[in-house]
Amino acid sequence: MNWIAEHILLVTALVLMAAGIFVLFPKRVLLPRTLGWLLTLAGVVALAVTLIPEESPLTENILFYLFSGTAILCGVLMITSHYPVYGALWFALVTLSVCGLFLLQSAPFLAAATIVVYAGAIIVTFLFVIMLAQQSGRSVYDQRSRQPLLATIGAFVMLGALLATIHEAKLGSIEPVAVATSKISAEQAEVPAINPLSQPRPDQPLGSMHGLGRSLFGDYLFAVELAGTLLLIASIGAILLSPRKGQVT
Amino acid sequence: MTGDVERYLAVGAVLFILGALGFLTRRNLIMMMLSAEMMLHGVSLTLVTFGRLHNTIEGQAFTIFALTVAACEAGLALALILALFQQSQSLDVDLWSGLREPDLPAPTSGEPAVLPAPTEQEFPRLAPAGRAPQISRTSEGAGGMGSLAAGASPASNQPLGSR
Repeated sequence: MNWIAEHILLVTALVLMAAGIFVLFPKRVLLPRTLGWLLTLAGVVALAVTLIPEESPLTENILFYLFSGTAILCGVLMITSHYPVYGALWFALVTLSVCGLFLLQSAPFLAAATIVVYAGAIIVTFLFVIMLAQQSGRSVYDQRSRQPLLATIGAFVMLGALLATIHEAKLGSIEPVAVATSKISAEQAEVPAINPLSQPRPDQPLGSMHGLGRSLFGDYLFAVELAGTLLLIASIGAILLSPRKGQVT
Repeated sequence: MTGDVERYLAVGAVLFILGALGFLTRRNLIMMMLSAEMMLHGVSLTLVTFGRLHNTIEGQAFTIFALTVAACEAGLALALILALFQQSQSLDVDLWSGLREPDLPAPTSGEPAVLPAPTEQEFPRLAPAGRAPQISRTSEGAGGMGSLAAGASPASNQPLGSR
Protein backbone atom coordinates (compact mmCIF):
# COMPACT_ATOMS: atom_id res chain seq x y z
CA MET A 1 0.00 0.00 0.00
CA ASN A 2 2.82 2.34 0.85
CA TRP A 3 4.45 1.78 -2.50
CA ILE A 4 1.17 2.33 -4.34
CA ALA A 5 0.61 5.58 -2.46
CA GLU A 6 4.07 6.77 -3.47
CA HIS A 7 3.65 5.82 -7.13
CA ILE A 8 -0.01 6.66 -7.53
CA LEU A 9 0.48 8.22 -10.96
CA LEU A 10 2.26 5.18 -12.37
CA VAL A 11 -0.39 2.82 -11.01
CA THR A 12 -3.14 5.03 -12.44
CA ALA A 13 -1.43 5.04 -15.83
CA LEU A 14 -1.13 1.27 -15.87
CA VAL A 15 -4.74 0.75 -14.79
CA LEU A 16 -6.01 3.19 -17.43
CA MET A 17 -3.98 1.54 -20.19
CA ALA A 18 -5.09 -1.93 -19.13
CA ALA A 19 -8.74 -0.90 -19.07
CA GLY A 20 -8.46 0.74 -22.48
CA ILE A 21 -6.78 -2.27 -24.03
CA PHE A 22 -9.34 -4.60 -22.51
CA VAL A 23 -12.16 -2.50 -23.98
CA LEU A 24 -10.45 -2.47 -27.36
CA PHE A 25 -9.85 -6.21 -27.60
CA PRO A 26 -12.17 -7.99 -30.02
CA LYS A 27 -14.78 -9.79 -27.96
CA ARG A 28 -18.21 -11.25 -28.38
CA VAL A 29 -19.86 -8.21 -26.80
CA LEU A 30 -18.17 -5.20 -28.34
CA LEU A 31 -17.72 -2.26 -25.99
CA PRO A 32 -17.53 1.23 -27.53
CA ARG A 33 -14.14 1.63 -29.17
CA THR A 34 -14.07 5.37 -28.49
CA LEU A 35 -14.05 4.64 -24.77
CA GLY A 36 -11.12 2.29 -25.23
CA TRP A 37 -9.17 4.84 -27.25
CA LEU A 38 -9.78 7.56 -24.65
CA LEU A 39 -8.73 5.30 -21.77
CA THR A 40 -5.58 4.15 -23.58
CA LEU A 41 -4.66 7.71 -24.54
CA ALA A 42 -5.14 8.89 -20.94
CA GLY A 43 -2.98 6.03 -19.70
CA VAL A 44 -0.18 6.80 -22.16
CA VAL A 45 -0.26 10.49 -21.25
CA ALA A 46 -0.09 9.64 -17.54
CA LEU A 47 2.81 7.26 -18.18
CA ALA A 48 4.59 10.02 -20.11
CA VAL A 49 4.12 12.41 -17.18
CA THR A 50 5.82 9.96 -14.85
CA LEU A 51 8.76 9.76 -17.25
CA ILE A 52 9.50 13.49 -17.59
CA PRO A 53 13.26 13.82 -17.12
CA GLU A 54 14.82 16.30 -14.78
CA GLU A 55 16.81 18.15 -17.37
CA SER A 56 17.02 17.32 -21.02
CA PRO A 57 17.23 19.33 -24.22
CA LEU A 58 13.83 20.37 -25.46
CA THR A 59 14.33 18.99 -28.97
CA GLU A 60 15.20 15.55 -27.72
CA ASN A 61 12.23 15.63 -25.38
CA ILE A 62 9.83 16.46 -28.18
CA LEU A 63 11.30 13.81 -30.49
CA PHE A 64 11.31 11.20 -27.75
CA TYR A 65 7.68 11.76 -26.84
CA LEU A 66 6.67 11.82 -30.50
CA PHE A 67 8.38 8.54 -31.34
CA SER A 68 7.61 6.65 -28.15
CA GLY A 69 3.99 7.78 -28.09
CA THR A 70 3.55 6.71 -31.69
CA ALA A 71 5.21 3.38 -30.97
CA ILE A 72 3.04 2.59 -27.95
CA LEU A 73 -0.24 3.75 -29.44
CA CYS A 74 0.38 1.91 -32.71
CA GLY A 75 1.36 -1.16 -30.72
CA VAL A 76 -1.95 -1.04 -28.87
CA LEU A 77 -3.83 -0.60 -32.13
CA MET A 78 -1.89 -3.51 -33.65
CA ILE A 79 -2.71 -6.06 -30.98
CA THR A 80 -6.36 -5.00 -30.91
CA SER A 81 -6.96 -4.74 -34.65
CA HIS A 82 -9.82 -6.78 -36.05
CA TYR A 83 -8.09 -7.45 -39.36
CA PRO A 84 -4.58 -8.84 -39.78
CA VAL A 85 -3.85 -6.49 -42.67
CA TYR A 86 -4.39 -3.48 -40.43
CA GLY A 87 -2.29 -5.21 -37.80
CA ALA A 88 0.62 -5.53 -40.22
CA LEU A 89 0.34 -1.87 -41.21
CA TRP A 90 0.25 -0.70 -37.58
CA PHE A 91 3.29 -2.89 -36.98
CA ALA A 92 5.08 -1.03 -39.78
CA LEU A 93 4.40 2.23 -37.92
CA VAL A 94 5.72 0.68 -34.70
CA THR A 95 8.89 -0.26 -36.56
CA LEU A 96 9.35 3.24 -37.94
CA SER A 97 8.89 4.78 -34.47
CA VAL A 98 11.37 2.37 -32.93
CA CYS A 99 13.84 3.35 -35.65
CA GLY A 100 13.32 6.97 -34.63
CA LEU A 101 14.18 6.01 -31.06
CA PHE A 102 17.30 4.23 -32.37
CA LEU A 103 18.31 7.46 -34.10
CA LEU A 104 17.89 9.36 -30.83
CA GLN A 105 20.08 6.72 -29.17
CA SER A 106 22.91 7.49 -31.63
CA ALA A 107 22.48 4.29 -33.63
CA PRO A 108 21.90 5.52 -37.19
CA PHE A 109 23.14 2.38 -38.95
CA LEU A 110 20.91 0.23 -36.81
CA ALA A 111 17.91 2.40 -37.61
CA ALA A 112 18.57 2.10 -41.34
CA ALA A 113 19.12 -1.66 -41.12
CA THR A 114 15.93 -2.13 -39.12
CA ILE A 115 13.89 -0.16 -41.62
CA VAL A 116 15.34 -2.16 -44.51
CA VAL A 117 14.89 -5.56 -42.86
CA TYR A 118 11.56 -5.04 -41.14
CA ALA A 119 9.67 -2.60 -43.29
CA GLY A 120 11.28 -3.73 -46.51
CA ALA A 121 11.30 -7.49 -46.07
CA ILE A 122 9.40 -8.86 -43.11
CA ILE A 123 6.23 -6.78 -43.35
CA VAL A 124 6.03 -7.27 -47.10
CA THR A 125 6.31 -11.03 -46.58
CA PHE A 126 3.62 -10.88 -43.91
CA LEU A 127 1.34 -8.99 -46.28
CA PHE A 128 1.98 -11.58 -48.99
CA VAL A 129 1.03 -14.39 -46.62
CA ILE A 130 -2.08 -12.52 -45.48
CA MET A 131 -3.14 -12.09 -49.08
CA LEU A 132 -2.46 -15.76 -49.80
CA ALA A 133 -4.14 -17.14 -46.72
CA GLN A 134 -6.85 -14.77 -45.58
CA GLN A 135 -10.31 -15.26 -46.91
CA SER A 136 -12.38 -12.22 -47.68
CA GLY A 137 -14.61 -10.86 -44.95
CA ARG A 138 -14.48 -11.18 -41.20
CA SER A 139 -13.32 -14.47 -39.80
CA VAL A 140 -14.53 -15.68 -36.43
CA TYR A 141 -11.12 -16.17 -34.90
CA ASP A 142 -10.18 -12.54 -35.55
CA GLN A 143 -13.27 -11.28 -33.74
CA ARG A 144 -12.66 -13.30 -30.56
CA SER A 145 -9.73 -13.10 -28.18
CA ARG A 146 -8.55 -15.79 -25.84
CA GLN A 147 -9.07 -14.79 -22.19
CA PRO A 148 -8.65 -11.03 -22.74
CA LEU A 149 -9.34 -10.06 -19.11
CA LEU A 150 -6.89 -12.45 -17.48
CA ALA A 151 -4.20 -11.81 -20.08
CA THR A 152 -4.49 -8.03 -19.71
CA ILE A 153 -4.33 -8.14 -15.93
CA GLY A 154 -1.35 -10.47 -15.95
CA ALA A 155 0.53 -8.49 -18.57
CA PHE A 156 0.06 -5.18 -16.81
CA VAL A 157 1.05 -6.57 -13.42
CA MET A 158 4.25 -7.71 -15.11
CA LEU A 159 4.68 -4.30 -16.73
CA GLY A 160 4.28 -2.62 -13.36
CA ALA A 161 6.93 -4.90 -11.89
CA LEU A 162 9.29 -4.14 -14.77
CA LEU A 163 8.80 -0.38 -14.52
CA ALA A 164 9.24 -0.44 -10.74
CA THR A 165 12.45 -2.44 -11.10
CA ILE A 166 13.80 -0.03 -13.70
CA HIS A 167 12.88 2.87 -11.45
CA GLU A 168 14.50 1.36 -8.40
CA ALA A 169 17.75 0.80 -10.27
CA LYS A 170 18.23 4.60 -10.46
CA LEU A 171 20.23 4.45 -13.66
CA GLY A 172 20.15 8.20 -13.91
CA SER A 173 21.13 10.16 -16.93
CA ILE A 174 23.72 9.39 -19.54
CA GLU A 175 26.89 11.28 -18.91
CA PRO A 176 28.49 13.29 -21.64
CA VAL A 177 30.52 11.10 -23.94
CA ALA A 178 33.87 12.71 -23.20
CA VAL A 179 33.57 12.09 -19.46
CA ALA A 180 32.44 8.52 -19.96
CA THR A 181 35.25 7.78 -22.38
CA SER A 182 37.91 9.10 -20.08
CA LYS A 183 36.48 7.07 -17.22
CA ILE A 184 36.52 3.87 -19.25
CA SER A 185 40.03 4.43 -20.54
CA ALA A 186 41.16 4.94 -16.96
CA GLU A 187 39.63 1.60 -16.07
CA GLN A 188 41.27 0.02 -19.10
CA ALA A 189 44.67 0.95 -17.71
CA GLU A 190 44.08 -1.43 -14.83
CA VAL A 191 41.85 -4.15 -16.25
CA PRO A 192 42.04 -5.04 -19.93
CA ALA A 193 38.64 -4.77 -21.56
CA ILE A 194 36.98 -8.02 -22.56
CA ASN A 195 36.07 -6.77 -26.02
CA PRO A 196 38.51 -3.97 -26.73
CA LEU A 197 37.33 -3.44 -30.30
CA SER A 198 33.79 -2.74 -29.09
CA GLN A 199 34.77 0.40 -27.26
CA PRO A 200 34.28 3.49 -29.37
CA ARG A 201 37.33 5.55 -30.07
CA PRO A 202 37.53 8.80 -28.16
CA ASP A 203 37.36 10.85 -31.35
CA GLN A 204 34.31 9.06 -32.73
CA PRO A 205 30.62 9.14 -31.82
CA LEU A 206 29.12 6.00 -30.36
CA GLY A 207 27.15 4.63 -33.26
CA SER A 208 29.45 5.38 -36.17
CA MET A 209 29.63 2.76 -38.88
CA HIS A 210 33.38 2.50 -38.45
CA GLY A 211 33.05 1.56 -34.80
CA LEU A 212 30.19 -0.84 -35.44
CA GLY A 213 32.11 -2.55 -38.21
CA ARG A 214 35.18 -2.90 -35.98
CA SER A 215 33.01 -4.47 -33.30
CA LEU A 216 31.16 -6.83 -35.66
CA PHE A 217 34.13 -8.00 -37.70
CA GLY A 218 36.62 -7.83 -34.87
CA ASP A 219 35.14 -9.12 -31.66
CA TYR A 220 32.19 -10.93 -33.14
CA LEU A 221 33.65 -12.34 -36.35
CA PHE A 222 32.68 -15.94 -35.62
CA ALA A 223 29.23 -14.85 -34.56
CA VAL A 224 28.83 -13.07 -37.90
CA GLU A 225 29.81 -16.26 -39.71
CA LEU A 226 27.34 -18.22 -37.59
CA ALA A 227 24.60 -15.71 -38.35
CA GLY A 228 25.26 -16.11 -42.07
CA THR A 229 25.04 -19.89 -41.73
CA LEU A 230 21.83 -19.51 -39.78
CA LEU A 231 20.33 -17.40 -42.58
CA LEU A 232 21.31 -20.02 -45.14
CA ILE A 233 19.80 -22.86 -43.11
CA ALA A 234 16.65 -20.87 -42.45
CA SER A 235 16.18 -20.15 -46.14
CA ILE A 236 16.64 -23.84 -46.97
CA GLY A 237 14.14 -24.73 -44.26
CA ALA A 238 11.61 -22.19 -45.50
CA ILE A 239 11.85 -23.57 -49.02
CA LEU A 240 11.38 -27.12 -47.71
CA LEU A 241 8.46 -26.25 -45.44
CA SER A 242 6.46 -24.12 -47.83
CA PRO A 243 3.69 -26.12 -49.48
CA ARG A 244 3.55 -26.61 -53.21
CA LYS A 245 0.52 -27.62 -55.18
CA GLY A 246 0.97 -30.58 -57.47
CA GLN A 247 4.24 -31.41 -55.87
CA VAL A 248 6.71 -33.25 -58.04
CA THR A 249 9.99 -34.26 -56.55
CA MET B 1 11.29 12.89 -12.28
CA THR B 2 13.54 10.35 -13.87
CA GLY B 3 16.72 10.08 -15.78
CA ASP B 4 17.35 9.79 -19.47
CA VAL B 5 18.03 6.06 -19.55
CA GLU B 6 14.95 5.09 -17.63
CA ARG B 7 12.43 6.38 -20.10
CA TYR B 8 13.96 4.46 -23.00
CA LEU B 9 13.97 1.31 -20.89
CA ALA B 10 10.34 2.02 -19.98
CA VAL B 11 9.35 2.27 -23.65
CA GLY B 12 11.17 -0.99 -24.33
CA ALA B 13 9.32 -2.67 -21.47
CA VAL B 14 5.96 -1.37 -22.68
CA LEU B 15 6.61 -2.64 -26.22
CA PHE B 16 7.65 -6.05 -24.88
CA ILE B 17 4.57 -6.35 -22.69
CA LEU B 18 2.24 -5.28 -25.49
CA GLY B 19 3.77 -7.90 -27.74
CA ALA B 20 3.40 -10.57 -25.07
CA LEU B 21 -0.21 -9.57 -24.52
CA GLY B 22 -0.95 -9.85 -28.20
CA PHE B 23 0.80 -13.19 -28.44
CA LEU B 24 -1.22 -14.60 -25.56
CA THR B 25 -4.56 -13.19 -26.62
CA ARG B 26 -4.90 -13.23 -30.37
CA ARG B 27 -6.01 -16.38 -32.15
CA ASN B 28 -4.78 -15.56 -35.62
CA LEU B 29 -1.43 -17.16 -36.40
CA ILE B 30 -0.22 -14.10 -38.31
CA MET B 31 -1.14 -11.73 -35.49
CA MET B 32 0.74 -13.96 -33.06
CA MET B 33 3.87 -13.76 -35.19
CA LEU B 34 3.56 -9.98 -35.51
CA SER B 35 3.27 -9.70 -31.72
CA ALA B 36 6.42 -11.77 -31.30
CA GLU B 37 8.23 -9.37 -33.63
CA MET B 38 7.06 -6.47 -31.47
CA MET B 39 8.53 -8.18 -28.41
CA LEU B 40 11.84 -8.32 -30.31
CA HIS B 41 11.57 -4.56 -30.91
CA GLY B 42 11.27 -3.95 -27.18
CA VAL B 43 14.31 -6.10 -26.50
CA SER B 44 16.32 -4.33 -29.22
CA LEU B 45 15.50 -0.93 -27.74
CA THR B 46 16.62 -2.12 -24.32
CA LEU B 47 19.89 -3.51 -25.70
CA VAL B 48 20.71 -0.28 -27.50
CA THR B 49 19.92 1.75 -24.40
CA PHE B 50 22.18 -0.35 -22.20
CA GLY B 51 24.93 -0.13 -24.80
CA ARG B 52 24.67 3.64 -24.71
CA LEU B 53 24.66 3.63 -20.91
CA HIS B 54 27.93 1.73 -20.78
CA ASN B 55 29.39 3.60 -23.78
CA THR B 56 30.05 0.49 -25.83
CA ILE B 57 28.97 -0.73 -29.25
CA GLU B 58 28.16 -4.24 -28.09
CA GLY B 59 24.50 -3.39 -27.60
CA GLN B 60 24.17 -2.39 -31.23
CA ALA B 61 26.11 -5.44 -32.39
CA PHE B 62 23.78 -7.71 -30.41
CA THR B 63 20.81 -5.94 -31.94
CA ILE B 64 22.10 -6.67 -35.41
CA PHE B 65 22.28 -10.36 -34.52
CA ALA B 66 18.75 -10.14 -33.13
CA LEU B 67 17.71 -8.64 -36.46
CA THR B 68 19.23 -11.61 -38.29
CA VAL B 69 17.46 -14.11 -36.08
CA ALA B 70 14.19 -12.18 -36.49
CA ALA B 71 14.48 -12.42 -40.27
CA CYS B 72 15.10 -16.19 -40.08
CA GLU B 73 12.23 -16.61 -37.66
CA ALA B 74 9.83 -14.66 -39.83
CA GLY B 75 10.69 -16.69 -42.92
CA LEU B 76 10.36 -20.05 -41.20
CA ALA B 77 7.19 -19.04 -39.35
CA LEU B 78 5.50 -17.82 -42.51
CA ALA B 79 6.38 -21.05 -44.33
CA LEU B 80 4.90 -23.00 -41.41
CA ILE B 81 1.77 -20.81 -41.38
CA LEU B 82 1.26 -21.43 -45.10
CA ALA B 83 1.69 -25.17 -44.61
CA LEU B 84 -0.85 -25.18 -41.76
CA PHE B 85 -3.23 -23.08 -43.83
CA GLN B 86 -3.07 -25.62 -46.66
CA GLN B 87 -4.13 -28.32 -44.19
CA SER B 88 -7.04 -26.54 -42.54
CA GLN B 89 -8.02 -23.58 -44.76
CA SER B 90 -7.98 -21.41 -41.65
CA LEU B 91 -5.49 -19.40 -39.60
CA ASP B 92 -7.06 -20.22 -36.25
CA VAL B 93 -4.46 -21.45 -33.81
CA ASP B 94 -7.08 -23.31 -31.75
CA LEU B 95 -7.42 -25.84 -34.56
CA TRP B 96 -4.01 -27.14 -33.58
CA SER B 97 -4.70 -27.42 -29.86
CA GLY B 98 -4.58 -31.19 -30.27
CA LEU B 99 -0.81 -30.83 -30.29
CA ARG B 100 -0.79 -29.85 -26.61
CA GLU B 101 0.37 -32.05 -23.76
CA PRO B 102 -2.19 -34.75 -23.00
CA ASP B 103 -2.80 -33.67 -19.40
CA LEU B 104 -3.55 -30.04 -20.21
CA PRO B 105 -7.13 -28.78 -20.56
CA ALA B 106 -8.45 -27.60 -23.88
CA PRO B 107 -8.16 -23.86 -24.58
CA THR B 108 -11.29 -21.89 -23.77
CA SER B 109 -11.82 -19.12 -26.29
CA GLY B 110 -15.47 -18.74 -27.09
CA GLU B 111 -16.76 -20.95 -29.81
CA PRO B 112 -15.04 -24.28 -30.27
CA ALA B 113 -12.97 -24.36 -33.38
CA VAL B 114 -13.97 -26.90 -35.96
CA LEU B 115 -11.41 -28.45 -38.19
CA PRO B 116 -12.88 -28.76 -41.66
CA ALA B 117 -13.13 -32.18 -43.21
CA PRO B 118 -9.74 -33.07 -44.56
CA THR B 119 -9.50 -33.14 -48.29
CA GLU B 120 -7.57 -35.98 -49.75
CA GLN B 121 -3.93 -35.68 -48.86
CA GLU B 122 -1.69 -34.99 -51.76
CA PHE B 123 1.51 -36.88 -51.31
CA PRO B 124 4.59 -36.16 -53.32
CA ARG B 125 5.03 -38.60 -56.13
CA LEU B 126 7.99 -39.49 -58.22
CA ALA B 127 8.05 -38.28 -61.75
CA PRO B 128 8.35 -41.04 -64.39
CA ALA B 129 11.99 -41.03 -65.36
CA GLY B 130 13.08 -43.39 -68.08
CA ARG B 131 12.07 -47.01 -68.19
CA ALA B 132 12.04 -49.70 -65.55
CA PRO B 133 15.49 -51.23 -65.33
CA GLN B 134 15.98 -54.85 -66.38
CA ILE B 135 19.32 -56.06 -65.18
CA SER B 136 20.96 -59.01 -66.81
CA ARG B 137 24.52 -59.80 -65.87
CA THR B 138 25.10 -62.74 -68.17
CA SER B 139 25.21 -61.20 -71.64
CA GLU B 140 27.08 -58.02 -72.44
CA GLY B 141 26.99 -58.12 -76.25
CA ALA B 142 24.40 -57.33 -78.87
CA GLY B 143 21.97 -59.90 -77.52
CA GLY B 144 22.10 -58.25 -74.12
CA MET B 145 21.52 -54.91 -75.70
CA GLY B 146 18.55 -56.31 -77.51
CA SER B 147 16.96 -57.65 -74.35
CA LEU B 148 17.61 -54.41 -72.54
CA ALA B 149 16.14 -52.29 -75.27
CA ALA B 150 12.83 -54.17 -75.26
CA GLY B 151 10.00 -51.77 -74.62
CA ALA B 152 12.17 -48.68 -74.37
CA SER B 153 12.18 -45.71 -76.64
CA PRO B 154 15.25 -45.20 -78.81
CA ALA B 155 16.02 -41.85 -77.21
CA SER B 156 16.32 -43.29 -73.73
CA ASN B 157 18.35 -46.17 -75.17
CA GLN B 158 20.99 -43.85 -76.49
CA PRO B 159 23.20 -43.31 -73.41
CA LEU B 160 23.17 -47.02 -72.63
CA GLY B 161 24.27 -47.89 -76.13
CA SER B 162 27.14 -45.47 -75.99
CA ARG B 163 28.35 -47.22 -72.87
